[in-house]
Amino acid sequence: MAARLSIARAVCQISSRHTCAAFRPVRAQWQQPFSRSFSYSIAARAKKYTEDHEWIELSSDGKTGTIGISTYAANALGDVVYVELPTSDLEVKAGDAIGAVESVKSASDIISPVSGKIIEGNSVLEEKPGTINKDPEGSGWIAKIEVADSGEMEGLMDEGVIRSLLRGWSR
Amino acid sequence: MSPSRGLNCLHVRLVRASSRSATRRYSTWTEAVANPQNKVQSYISRSRDPYLNLSLEHYLLQKSSPDSTILFLYTNRPCVVIGRNQNPWLEVNLALLQAAKDSPGKPTEPPALGSVDLVRRRSGGGTVFHDEGNVNWSVICPPATFTRDKHAEMVVRALRALGVDRSRVNERHDIVLDQGVRKGAVDEEDTHRTPYTSEASSHEPRPLKVSGSAYKLTRTRALHHGTCLLSSPNLNIIPDYLHSPAKPYIKARGVESVSSPVGNIGIEIEAFKRSVQEHYQKMYHPADANEHTSIVVGEEQLDVADIKKGYEELKVGLATMIIRAYLMQAQSLDWTFLQTPQFTFSSHPTEEDDRERPDLPVAARVYLKARFGAISESFVSWADSSSSAVDPSDRLRLDLQDQKLHEIHDWTAVVEKASGPQNARAGSALGAWLTRMFPRV
Repeated sequence: MAARLSIARAVCQISSRHTCAAFRPVRAQWQQPFSRSFSYSIAARAKKYTEDHEWIELSSDGKTGTIGISTYAANALGDVVYVELPTSDLEVKAGDAIGAVESVKSASDIISPVSGKIIEGNSVLEEKPGTINKDPEGSGWIAKIEVADSGEMEGLMDEGVIRSLLRGWSR
Repeated sequence: MSPSRGLNCLHVRLVRASSRSATRRYSTWTEAVANPQNKVQSYISRSRDPYLNLSLEHYLLQKSSPDSTILFLYTNRPCVVIGRNQNPWLEVNLALLQAAKDSPGKPTEPPALGSVDLVRRRSGGGTVFHDEGNVNWSVICPPATFTRDKHAEMVVRALRALGVDRSRVNERHDIVLDQGVRKGAVDEEDTHRTPYTSEASSHEPRPLKVSGSAYKLTRTRALHHGTCLLSSPNLNIIPDYLHSPAKPYIKARGVESVSSPVGNIGIEIEAFKRSVQEHYQKMYHPADANEHTSIVVGEEQLDVADIKKGYEELKVGLATMIIRAYLMQAQSLDWTFLQTPQFTFSSHPTEEDDRERPDLPVAARVYLKARFGAISESFVSWADSSSSAVDPSDRLRLDLQDQKLHEIHDWTAVVEKASGPQNARAGSALGAWLTRMFPRV
């Protein structure tokens, strides 16, 4: 069984949305059921960053988050020419790829900072992928997610911290 | 530095397949990949199967320890490789690929190349042609130390050591050979400039591209792979394979290839591989620069033969299953065609794509929209006016909703069904034309 799950995950990482769908029921079974945490704090609602230069900002009720890539990452990537968006209802764990952007011959995975269920991808990016470069932390957001556990926000970083970190988003 | 110096003292120790039992060999391989002590790794494939080689490369990307750096060299049989976010109908002459498949063994027109595979890779970038005169080099490293140029620079150093003094990395992170006359000395260590480099605005012949780069960045790893044209006998016919008759009618999201004049470097394949291995070793393991060990991989990585009980064997079996899963994905027509970003095909200028179009053989208009390789909108009309607008009432919807474009076999039947028997002759002419644009796969 372990082998089967590993392969499901491995294939999901490389696959288009079509083949991924085949594995979704399997993933749903072994994923933790959603537990809603009502203990989120005001601080957790502020915009938080991952080491991989994604950001997430929670809605005022703390139930949904908006995910994007940081200004630093958008600059380092260069001109974004295509964005692969996640389909709605895709269930992800923190650290899973929820899409990819292409720039300068590079396909770069976009990682979800938290676990949850994708509500929608930003369809503006389908027609205008360059929006990620122009406004990465505003209208260039990538996806909205129903957050499974807002406690996961606690492990993320504030903007000041992320600015001091360097990551190989390709230079 | 003379071309061969340094190579003579380089001992390439290969793990010979025949020297160990099958199971032992697999475990050696999977262990070597995952072992965190194994910081600098090198592999070389004996397989010519592009799907398998890309799957082995993907396994190395996904399963190697995050701190390690990996070199992987492989050569594919003739194939066309499109980038992750490209459109095969736009980039490739699919009918030409199909011709060889339909009549195996028979000479094809243009000259016999036999079967040519169509492959979609997982990295970004444009379309390239591979054959046995091309060596693919691939370096996987931690993202923190990655730059887009550093491994192209490594390959330029490997080429220059073999006397290829016109080679350099260009602004697109590709490797080119400068043309024209020598202009004067430059810093020999500068991998971005040669004595032959001329200003972009000059009238010198354009540099010839000999190696194209593409990248894949995951959360924990960065992959840079490139082609390297050494001695391809097919340079004159490559453009035929990369020229699609449907291109003037297609407006696509995603990534379009940038075509460049290409050339062969004209050095020996084995010497190139050794030189790349040597310079990789120098870069990542200078203390042990003369002792390069490379593990040979290939079809045997797919054999589940002789799995006995025991933890080692289970790990081997798991690795085999993962590679097989990658291989199934790489070979699947769904991955090749349904990963295509949205596009429209319109026989006449439209608001979103107002280019002039080549004439159709029949007085008709066609419009198709495909999302992820499946038809989301389609119609024909027989009203052939010069104005760009067609009266919506003249549009005849084709019965193609949600059909996968690459699975449509009988365009004539589709057109005739929509337009009725009164347009049978025009219908069959239009059907034949559409079959040329979207050949059976």
